[in-house]
Amino acid sequence: MKSKTLQITLIYIIISLFMTIICHKLLTIYFSPTENYNLFLAKDIFFILATGLVFKYILSKNEVKNKSVFEKLKQTNEEIKESNEKYDIVAKATSDTIWDWKIQEDSISWNRGIEGIFGYNQEDVGKTSKWWFDKIHPEDSIRMSIKLYSFIEQKTEKWQDQYRFRCADGTYKYVLDRGFLLKDEKGRAIRMIGAIQDITKQKEEEQRLKLLETVITQSKDSILITEANSVARRIPKIVYVNPAFSQMSGYQSNEIIGKSPNIFKGPKSDSEELKKLLRAIKNEEECLIETISYTKQKEEFWVRFSMIPIFNNEGVISHWISIQRDITDEKKLETEKEHLIRELTQNNKDLKQFSYITSHNLRAPLSNLIGLLNLIEDIPVENTELEEIIAGFTKSTHLLNETINDLVKVIIIKDNPSMQKEEVSLQEVFENVFSQLSFQIELHKPIIKLKFDRVPLLNTNKAYIESILLNLLTNSIKYKSENRKLKISIMAEQIDHKAILTFKDNGIGIDLERNRDKVFGLYQRFHNYPDSKGLGLYLVKSQVETMGGTISIESEVNKGTTFTITFKN
Amino acid sequence: MLEQILCIDDDPITLMLCKKVISKSEFSNEIITAQNGEEALLHFNTLKYTNNKNKVSKKPELIFLDLNMPVMGGWEFLDHFTSGDYTEFSNAASVIVLSSTIDPDDLAKAKKYPIIIDFLSKPITLPMLEYLKKKIDI
Repeated sequence: MKSKTLQITLIYIIISLFMTIICHKLLTIYFSPTENYNLFLAKDIFFILATGLVFKYILSKNEVKNKSVFEKLKQTNEEIKESNEKYDIVAKATSDTIWDWKIQEDSISWNRGIEGIFGYNQEDVGKTSKWWFDKIHPEDSIRMSIKLYSFIEQKTEKWQDQYRFRCADGTYKYVLDRGFLLKDEKGRAIRMIGAIQDITKQKEEEQRLKLLETVITQSKDSILITEANSVARRIPKIVYVNPAFSQMSGYQSNEIIGKSPNIFKGPKSDSEELKKLLRAIKNEEECLIETISYTKQKEEFWVRFSMIPIFNNEGVISHWISIQRDITDEKKLETEKEHLIRELTQNNKDLKQFSYITSHNLRAPLSNLIGLLNLIEDIPVENTELEEIIAGFTKSTHLLNETINDLVKVIIIKDNPSMQKEEVSLQEVFENVFSQLSFQIELHKPIIKLKFDRVPLLNTNKAYIESILLNLLTNSIKYKSENRKLKISIMAEQIDHKAILTFKDNGIGIDLERNRDKVFGLYQRFHNYPDSKGLGLYLVKSQVETMGGTISIESEVNKGTTFTITFKN
Repeated sequence: MLEQILCIDDDPITLMLCKKVISKSEFSNEIITAQNGEEALLHFNTLKYTNNKNKVSKKPELIFLDLNMPVMGGWEFLDHFTSGDYTEFSNAASVIVLSSTIDPDDLAKAKKYPIIIDFLSKPITLPMLEYLKKKIDI
């Protein structure tokens, strides 16, 4: 720099000297040289040198000043540069979306966040504030703009707001927007810079928690939360109760928080259950008890009380949650039910015993009568009238005996809900039944069609299934039509876990329109046949049902009857 | 043919029938009766303590036993009879329950007494005795 000043000064001096010498030369050529010519030259040279010195001085002064200005400028520049760099780094580093709004020109610029978070390409982003406002959810936009403009008009100190901002894909994100104003010397707002934070996750979590909270606050079950640790073998202190709890216990939450649920204990509380609870608390296990509890007004109620330990991430117990339900009504019902069942069981037992005793007491003298009649058989009777009387006597006695035996059969079936079941071959069952009916079969020669190869084995009670088939077969023979040959078809099918037995004949049938509800009734007779007692179908149904099966009937008068029996198999 | 059988029943007609039917079928030479369990036990007591003085008395080889009787029923009688005091008689005899009961509990209970060889329904009949003859092989 120094050399430059010197250089300029030297150039000035040389040019000036050169000019001076030329001028003097020209003067001496065109004008007559004067004696003072050299003096003038010397004077000019002196002037030139003097002005050169002054010039140099001024230049060097100026130089220093310039230099300091330059230094300052450079420094400022560096600062600005650094600041810009920092801004860029921060804008990149932050997950916030930063906007910069020149209010007077209404020009707004966004950082990369608008692309990264909201999905807008830089070219799609509008340059005015309108674009911004357009993206705000209609429900939020009025509230948001009122707050924003009152801030710009400097009626409020701070500005931050939450609203929903529309993304490029049309969905909305919850955002927290915070901004500050830049003012000019007159204090007018000229620029506003803000940062938008995506709080969708927090907001959703908040809403989820709110929803979950309603479970507790709206629940009809009482819920309370206690501390983790119990003091002196008591239930730990309560830290929260829900409204249902206040409803149930009569204690408001401020009265009960900090106390132990032990205060619900009373004279009738089940101490064994409470011990169980305390043991569970000690072992940090969940527990369910039922006990009588007491309200604030000392009214007793039944409560089902659970305690569930809550563990933190380290596996250390942090709280207990207790859910309670008033089960007073339930308990009452249960007690009533138990009482009723006990009574019914007793009644039933008494009745059963009564039927055994009655049948025994009827059978004892009856068997004597039969025994005596057996003895008479061997004694010749001379008197014909007496013989007739004895014959009538014998017939009535045997009829009475049969009836009582039938009733006894019914009693025994009804009293035997869990009889022995075994794998029974249907083939064998039919052979037995046919041999018992061989006389009738020989007599009437019915056409019998059997098809049970699909169900060769049936898990059932042998005696019962024989009795069922015997009764049905006897009925078919007894109630056959006189106009046509008797045809009986018996089929067995297996469908899933059910065996279906179809028993079909072409007999005289039963008028079901009149008798459907009586078909399987005790002592119900539909035909006036001398040896019909009205017991067969009753026994059949009883036996089928005792074995867990069902029976249904389809019948048409003079066409025939079909029984369908279904067993689990 | 058996030498002696004992019928225990509170019903005199049953006893009469037993006597008649048994004598007809030539099932046993002698039929003695008792009205209930206690009377039967008394009979055995008498046998026990008079045995030494006189000639050896007959022991019943078969007992027809009713279950429902006043004073002492069939089950109670059996409990006494099969306990230590009467072993000399219970070892020599079989018991047939002859009752009009239909209580399944009675049937089940009968199976628990080894001394009971059958459970028959009243009235006693000739075919019944024929069946028994075959069963006990006489």
